[in-house]
Order: sequence, then C-alpha cells, then structure tokens
Amino acid sequence: MPLGCDRIHSPPVRIAGDIVNSRTRMDQRIHRRPAIVKATLWDSLRTSLFDGVAASIRTLLPPVSGGLPWYGQQEAHRVAFYEFYRSTGLATFRSNDENMLDILAALVGSTGWWWTFDEVCVMSERPVILDTEPTPGGTHNERRLHSADAPALQFADGAAVYVQHGAIVPEWVVLDPTVERIAQERNVEVRRTAIERIGWDAYIDMAGLKMVDRSDDPGNPGCELQLFDAPQQWRNNSRILLTVNGSLERDGHRRRYGLHVPRWISSSLDAAGWTYGIRGHDYARLARRT
Amino acid sequence: MNSTMTLSALTTLTGLDVFDYLDQEVSVPVIDGMQAQGDLIVVPHILLADSVRTVSWSRYVHVPLSGIELLRSAAGGNPHSLVADEGLCTWSTGVQDTRRLALGILDTEVTAYLIHPEHGATGIAPGRYVIGRQRERGFGGFESPQLVAD
Repeated sequence: MPLGCDRIHSPPVRIAGDIVNSRTRMDQRIHRRPAIVKATLWDSLRTSLFDGVAASIRTLLPPVSGGLPWYGQQEAHRVAFYEFYRSTGLATFRSNDENMLDILAALVGSTGWWWTFDEVCVMSERPVILDTEPTPGGTHNERRLHSADAPALQFADGAAVYVQHGAIVPEWVVLDPTVERIAQERNVEVRRTAIERIGWDAYIDMAGLKMVDRSDDPGNPGCELQLFDAPQQWRNNSRILLTVNGSLERDGHRRRYGLHVPRWISSSLDAAGWTYGIRGHDYARLARRT
Repeated sequence: MNSTMTLSALTTLTGLDVFDYLDQEVSVPVIDGMQAQGDLIVVPHILLADSVRTVSWSRYVHVPLSGIELLRSAAGGNPHSLVADEGLCTWSTGVQDTRRLALGILDTEVTAYLIHPEHGATGIAPGRYVIGRQRERGFGGFESPQLVAD
C-alpha cells in the first residue's frame, strides 16, 4: 500500500477530534455511573480486545513511529459502553452524537482496523481465525488468545500470530519445537512453552542432559531441585536447574521451569541460591515457596 | 489488619483478585524468614546487609491496603502486589544493590502480604526485608545474566 501518497499526508486530526468531542459530550450526559457497568462492559472488553487481540496484531506490523492512532474494531468497549446507556435510557444523547455512535457501531461490526484521512479511508480485513479461551480469574467473561496447535489469530493473507494461553510465542514453538531452538531462546516463558510441548522428561532425554546434582527443594515439600549439564555442543557454558513451581496449576499439576545457571555451579542448592543472588546454604533455609 | 487471614478475607479487604481454583479458606501463613513467590524472593535484610542498602536517592512510599504492584509477569497479566495496613509499612525503591536484583526494601511494623493471582497470598512478619527478582545466565555472551520473568 503506497502510504507515501499525497492524499493521506494530512493526519486524521479532524475526525479524531470529532470522535473525542462526541465522547466528551456524551460523558457529560451520563450522570450515574454504576461501577458494574464499567467493569462488565468497558474493562472486560478492553482487556480482551486491547491486551489480547490488538497486542497480537501489532506484532505483525513494522514499528510505527508515534504509535497507531486507533484500533477501530478493537475499540468495541467504547461503543458498547455508550450504547448501553443509550439503549437502557439511562442517558439521552444529542442526535449528532447518536449518529456518531451509530457510525462507530457499524464500523466496529463490519471492518478491521481503519484509518481515515481527508479524502481517503484505509480499511483492513478482519482476521479469519481468532481463537480464545476464558482468562483465568476473569470475573466478567474476559478472554485471552489461545490455540494449542495452530495460530490463535490469522489473516486471509496468511499472516498469523501464535498465542499460547495469552502468551505470544514464535511459530516454531507450536509447529516445530526443537532442542536447538529452545537453547537459543532468550525468553524463559517462550522456552517453557516450547519445552512443555515436548515434555520435560522427553526434552531432557532428547537433549542428552546429564544430572549433576539433586536435592530437596527448600520450602516446597515433596519437590526436588535438579541440576543438569547442558550438552557440550550448545557451547553456552551453562547448566540447567530444573525447578518446580510452588503453586498448583488449575489442572492440579505443578509447572516445571528450567533455568540456565553458570557452569561453575555444581550443587543444585547453590544454583537455586544463585538465581536469587544468595548463597546456597542461605537458600536451604527458605521457609516457604508458593 | 488481623494477623490471621484467609485468602478470601484478604482479597475482599484489598480488592485484589486471585485465580478461583486456589483454596480461598485456608489461613495464609505468616513467615518471618526467607520465602519465595514465583520469581520473587523475600530475604531478611540482615542476610543481604552487605549488598543492599538505601541511599540518598532512594524513595519510599507507605504501602496502602489496595496494594503496590511490584512486578508483572511476561505475559502481561499477573502482578505481584504488596499490601499492608497503611502507614505502618513502607516500601523503598531505588536502593543500591551490588547484585542488581533488588526491587526494593520493605520495612514493616505489621504483617504485610504479597498477593499474586496464580500463587495466592503469603504473609510477611514485621521486620526489614529485601524483595528481589530471580535471574538466570544469559546467552548473549560471557557472563551477562538476565532477569527471569515468569
């Protein structure tokens, strides 16, 4: 798309101003604002759409200086909020503001992101795949992106985002997690997702990890700390400490984390202490882990 | 704040949420030693007195009942929040730490609580503590460590 074209040089200041002014006028006519309305409509939708969908779509775009002016479709929380007051009669808006609300509702319901300029309007297609799951702890039906074996979000041109339980991960994590890629990955959450797709036992076996030391996990009854040598070919001069989460997951399992520690560490307690910047014999006195 | 709290009493009092599968009615233990909540660790200051201290540019705030967010997890949700009865508990940031892991120093005359949606709540007995992050060895080269964000 030739974004350098003259017609769209002028910024969409006017229409943005119209929308903001319309909202301000509607706000002035809303006299009672029960917290439940904001929590169930505005906050819940905003969490699902901004933090979930819009954040994922952004990863498909090159960095835009100054940010993007607005998200169009993912601004449904604004439309829903004012529409609630209008449809229940809890507020009465001016006719020009009702018209603006109708237009925004039509846009939210019919297009993807859009940008308008003086003579040109750019509208984008909506995703063809959008898979979600309930957000844990969400009290008002908040949802987050998730698809176990496929993109959680995909456009018709094939552009796709892989998301596991709300965490955006690279494609290889879902399609082809390998020992080598896992070793290179910097983000511990991404690595965990990839390893968990293989399974910790299988991963340790495939990676040829040799256990160097093990001990009871202080403050985490019934769990063990295990220290492994990383394979020589990784050449990253580190060992891997396998730790067990202090809290149960929803399904009753305990998540396991592998953390890279320096190779000079030979005891699992020293390794765990090092990750928190304390000595191993101090770490051994950890009273509680959650 | 009462020194024996259940998770449900604590979340009601503070307005903070935890995941619904955690046991809400269990009493939250209060620990006067070292404890960890996921990628955070609470260490009695005496153990780190040589490494971590407040300096002239450190700032402190009174910890409110509604909580201070100490750290958020990588996926965007799930903050670790620190709560206590207001005025009796302070949280100092911008502290000097030769290890570069401390988020701050907690000074509390009452029981303070760390609350996290996934890990639930844990009580911290009155005293002075360093609350710090977890690190692992980086891959970028040499000995560059990186901070753990679970």
